[in-house]
Amino acid sequence: MDQLGALMQGFADAVTLGNLVWALVGVTIGTVVGVLPGIGPALTVAMLLPLTFRLDPASSLIMFAGIYYGGMYGGSTTSILLNTPGESASMVSALEGNKMARAGRGAAALATAAIGSFVAGTIGTIGLTFLAPAVAELAVGFGPPEYVALMALSFVTVSALLGRSLVKGAASLLIGLAIGLVGIDAQSGQARLDFGVPALLDGIDVVVVVVALFALGETFERLLRGTGRETVEPVRGRAVLSREDWRRSWPAWLRGTALGFPIGGLPAGGADVPTFLSYSLERRLSKHRSQFGKGAIEGVAGPEAANNAAAAGVLVPLLTIGLPTSATAAVILTAFQSYGLQPGPQLFTESGPLLWTLIASLYIGNVMLLVLNLPLVRLWARLLTIPAYGIYAAVLVFSTLGTFASGGTFDDLIVLYALGLVALVLRLADAPVAPAVVGVILGPLAETQLRRALALSQGDPAVLVSSPLTVTLWVLIVLALLAPLAWRLTRGVRERRRTAPPVPVTAVESQADQD
Amino acid sequence: MSSPDPDPATGPRPGEEPGGAPAAVAADPPEDRRTVLGGGALGLLLLVGAVLVLAEAAALHAATDATPLGPAVFPALVGALMAVVGVALVVRAARRLGAAPSSEPIPLSRVLRLAGLLVLLVGFAVALPLAGYVVSSTALFTGAALLLGAPRPWHTLAYGWTLVAVVYLVFDRLIGLTLPAGPWGF
Amino acid sequence: MDSTGRDMDEPGAAARPGPGRLVRSLAPFVTAALATVGLFAVQTDGERAQAQELLDGRQLRLMAPAEPGGGWDQTARELQAALRDRVGRAEVYNVGGAGGTIGLSQYVRLPPEPTELMVTGLIMVGAIESNDSPVTLEQTTPLVRLTTDYEVIVVPADSPVQTTADLVELMREDIGAVSIAGGSAGGVEQITAGLIAADIGADPAEVNYIAHSGGGEALTTLLSGRATAGVSGVSEIQAQIDAGQVRALAVSSAERLPGLPEVPTLLEEGVDVELANWRGVVAPAGISDEDEQALEDLLMEMADSPQWQETLQRRGWGDAALAGPEFEAFLAEETARVGQVLDDIGLG
Repeated sequence: MDQLGALMQGFADAVTLGNLVWALVGVTIGTVVGVLPGIGPALTVAMLLPLTFRLDPASSLIMFAGIYYGGMYGGSTTSILLNTPGESASMVSALEGNKMARAGRGAAALATAAIGSFVAGTIGTIGLTFLAPAVAELAVGFGPPEYVALMALSFVTVSALLGRSLVKGAASLLIGLAIGLVGIDAQSGQARLDFGVPALLDGIDVVVVVVALFALGETFERLLRGTGRETVEPVRGRAVLSREDWRRSWPAWLRGTALGFPIGGLPAGGADVPTFLSYSLERRLSKHRSQFGKGAIEGVAGPEAANNAAAAGVLVPLLTIGLPTSATAAVILTAFQSYGLQPGPQLFTESGPLLWTLIASLYIGNVMLLVLNLPLVRLWARLLTIPAYGIYAAVLVFSTLGTFASGGTFDDLIVLYALGLVALVLRLADAPVAPAVVGVILGPLAETQLRRALALSQGDPAVLVSSPLTVTLWVLIVLALLAPLAWRLTRGVRERRRTAPPVPVTAVESQADQD
Repeated sequence: MSSPDPDPATGPRPGEEPGGAPAAVAADPPEDRRTVLGGGALGLLLLVGAVLVLAEAAALHAATDATPLGPAVFPALVGALMAVVGVALVVRAARRLGAAPSSEPIPLSRVLRLAGLLVLLVGFAVALPLAGYVVSSTALFTGAALLLGAPRPWHTLAYGWTLVAVVYLVFDRLIGLTLPAGPWGF
Repeated sequence: MDSTGRDMDEPGAAARPGPGRLVRSLAPFVTAALATVGLFAVQTDGERAQAQELLDGRQLRLMAPAEPGGGWDQTARELQAALRDRVGRAEVYNVGGAGGTIGLSQYVRLPPEPTELMVTGLIMVGAIESNDSPVTLEQTTPLVRLTTDYEVIVVPADSPVQTTADLVELMREDIGAVSIAGGSAGGVEQITAGLIAADIGADPAEVNYIAHSGGGEALTTLLSGRATAGVSGVSEIQAQIDAGQVRALAVSSAERLPGLPEVPTLLEEGVDVELANWRGVVAPAGISDEDEQALEDLLMEMADSPQWQETLQRRGWGDAALAGPEFEAFLAEETARVGQVLDDIGLG
C-alpha cells in the first residue's frame, strides 16, 4: 500500500511537461540507436553522460531509462525486417520474424514485437514496483553452482535453434564456443587465442559477432548469389495483427515475461538467456510446431517479451543492491553516482521520491514507446521497398560504425570482416548462424561459472547440486531432455498403429517439421 | 563437465543411424552440389579452427595449483569436438558429392565482386583515420551498392553522401561519439 | 533514421514516370547538397569557439582505458566536469579491456600532443605486468596522481569469521579452503589477497582467489554465501556495508577511513599490508617540459579546488594529489612492488 502511495506521488512528479519531454527524447533516441546494428543504448548513454552536468537528476535519469527501454524496443526492427539484429538480445527474433517478413507478414511480426514489448515492459515495471525485494533475494541466492545449472538449462534449449541438420548446427555452435574462448581468461589472467593482437585481449564483443554473422554474412551472400537488385521482401496484406495472431501471441508474451523478468534480475542473467529459453519453450508448447523455422508468430512474441521484461529485471539488482548487471546498467549507475546517489539497499529510503519518479516514468515511457512504435511499423515495413543494394550498403555503413565505436581500431574492423567470411561459409553450407551467437554468449559464462564453482569447493563436484535451487534446475534439465523423448515415443507408437509400415521416429518428426 | 559441451543437444536424439548422418537429414530433399561443397568447406574451417584451438590449449599452463580446472581444459574440449565435427562434415560431403544434383555454379564475376567488396572494406579501414568518417563511409556505401548492382552511380553517391552526413551529424555532433575527421574537418 | 528511410525510399519513386519526374530525380542531389551545407555549418560553431591559452584553443581529450562505469571512467568523467571551468569542453572516450593495456597500446601510438591525456592507476601497473604487455607506462609522461580508493576485506553478514585474526587463522590452517572473491585476475584485489598471504607466511600462489569481471559480480558470489571472504574497493561496497549485508573486517589504508570509522586497518590487526588503489593522469611521451609543467599545474590546481574536494567526498575517494618527480618515484616503486607480488602469485 505504501508502495502504491509512493508510486502515485511518483506519477504526480513525473507528469510535468519537462519530465515528459525528457522521457520522449529518451525513448526516441533509444529506438533509433536500438534500430542501428552495433550501436546500443550503453554507448549512447555513456556519450550523453555529460548532460548530467546540466540537467537535474530526475530529468536525466528519466531520459537515460527511456533510452534503455527504447533500445530494447528498437532492437527487433532490423532483426525482423532485414535479418540483421542490432544486438544479441534481439537475435532470436530474427529466426521467426524474418521468415514472417519474407512471407509478407513483416508488419504483423513488428506489431507483435511492439505490443509484446509493451506488455512485458509494463508487467516488468509492475514487478519492479512490487516484487523488487523478492527478486533481489533470488538474485542474491544465485552463486556459481546455480549459474552452472542455469547455463546447462540454456544449453539444453539450444537444440531448438540447431536447425534441421544436427551436425551443421553443432558446427555452428562450436565456432561460437571457439570465438568465446578468445581473450584473457577471467580466472587465470592468461590470454587465450589472442595471436598477439591487443584488440583481441579483451575477447570479441558479442555485438561484433552478431553484426558480422548476420549483417555481413547476409551482404556477402547476396553479392555471391547476385540478388542485390531485388527488393528485399514483398509486403502483403493490410491487417497488422489478425484475431488468430492475437490468440497465439498473448500467451507467448506472458510466458516470455515470466522468463525474462526474473532471469534479467539475476546478476549474470542478462537479456539474452531468457530469449533462448523463451524460443525453446514456445517451440515446445506450440500447437503450430511445424511452422517453427518458417515464421511462427509465437517465436517472435515470446523472445521479444522476454528481452523487454529482462530489461526491467536488470533494474531490480541495480536499484536494490546497487549491482549493475548489464553494460547499460553500469552506465546508468555512473549517472546515479555523478549526482552523489549510491544505488543500493538505502536508495529507496534515502532518495525515495526521485526513485519513484523514475519508476513512474518507466510506465509512461512504455506507453510512449507503444504509441511511437505502432505507427512506425508501417513506415519500417516500407523500408522493404528499397532495393537490396541500398539496404545492404547502408547496413555496412552502420555495422562498421558500430564496430568502430566499440573498439576504435583497424584490427577491430578486420576481426569483423573475418567473422563475416565465417558467416558466409556457414550460409553456403546451409548451416544456421544463431547457434554460433549462443555459443559466444553461453560458452564463457558456463566456463567461468563452472570453474568458479569448482574452485570454491576445491574441486568437489558435489557443489553443483549443493542447494535446493540447483537441484530444482537440474530436475528441470532432465525433464527438458526427457519430455521430447517421451512425446516422440508416444507419438511414434500412435503413428505406427495408424500406418502399416513402421516409420523411423525422427523421420516422422522431420516430416512434421516440413509441412 | 556437464554444461558446456553440446552433448545435451546430441543426447536426446534417438533413432540416429549408428555411424551415419542423422535420419532427419536423410528425409530432407537432397542437397545440391553447391551446398554439399559448402558443408565440406565448413568442415575444413572447423578443422583449421580445431588445430588453432588445440595448439593454444597445449601452450597454456595452469596458473596456480589452487584451481582444479585450468585455463586449458575448455579449449581442449572445444578443440576436440571441433575436430570430430569437422571430420564428420568433410566425410559427409565427400560421400554425398557424387549423388548430389548439380547446381548452376557461381559465376566467376560474382566471386570477383565479393573479392572487390573485401578490398573495399579493408580499404575503408585503412582510409578511415586518414580521409575521415564522411568521405570513407560514403565511398564504402557507394562502392558496396554498385557491387551489389545499383543502377545509377551518381544517384547512389548522392544517397550515400546524404546518409553518411546525417549519421555523422547525429552521432558526432549531437551525441558526442567521436568519429575520425579528415583534413577538411569531417 | 527516419530521414534516412525517407531518403532511401526515393529511388523507387523516381523511377515512376509521371509529372514531377525531373524534380524527383533531382531530389537526391538536393538533399545531398543540403547535407553538405549541414556539415560545414556545424563545423564553424563547434568547440573551436571556446579558446583558452594553455592548449592553443584545442580541445582536451581524455582516454578512459576501461568500459563506461568503472573507476577510470568515473575518474575521467569527474575530471571532465572539474576541468570545465578551466579548459572548456573536454572529451572523454573509452577504450576498454585487459586492465587498461588495450587502451594503453592505442594511447602510446598517439602523437605527442599535450591535449591527449589518459587516466591510469595501480590496476594498469598490474595488468602491464600480468599480461606481458609490450607497451608500458614508461612510454608515457606521468603527470599526477589524484585519488586513492582503499580496499576493504569483507565477509558475509552471517559468517562465523568475526575478525581479521579469525580469517588469518583459517588461512594458516588450510589456505586453499579459504576462498576469496574479488575483481579481475591480477587486479588490485588479488594483489591485496596475495600481500596478506605473503605477510602471514603463506604462499601467495596458493590463495584460492575467485576472479570476477567486476566488484558487483564478486559481491553476488559473496552474498550467495559461497565464498569465505571478499576484497573490494571501499567505494564499491560501502552501501552494502552500511546496510549490514556484509561485515567489514579491515581496510588497507594506513589510517582508519572517515567513511568507515569502526573498521580497523590491516596494520592495526597485525597484518603488515598497506595498499591504495591510486588513480592518476598521464600525457604522451615526448611532450615539451613547458607543456608538462603547465598540465601538472593545471591538474594540481584543479585538485585543490573546492569542486574537486566535493567530488572526492561524494565518491568516497581519498585525496592523493602528487605531481612531478615525486609521482615518478612513486610510480617506479609501485611497479617494482606489484611486479614482485604478481610473480609470487604466479601471474608475473
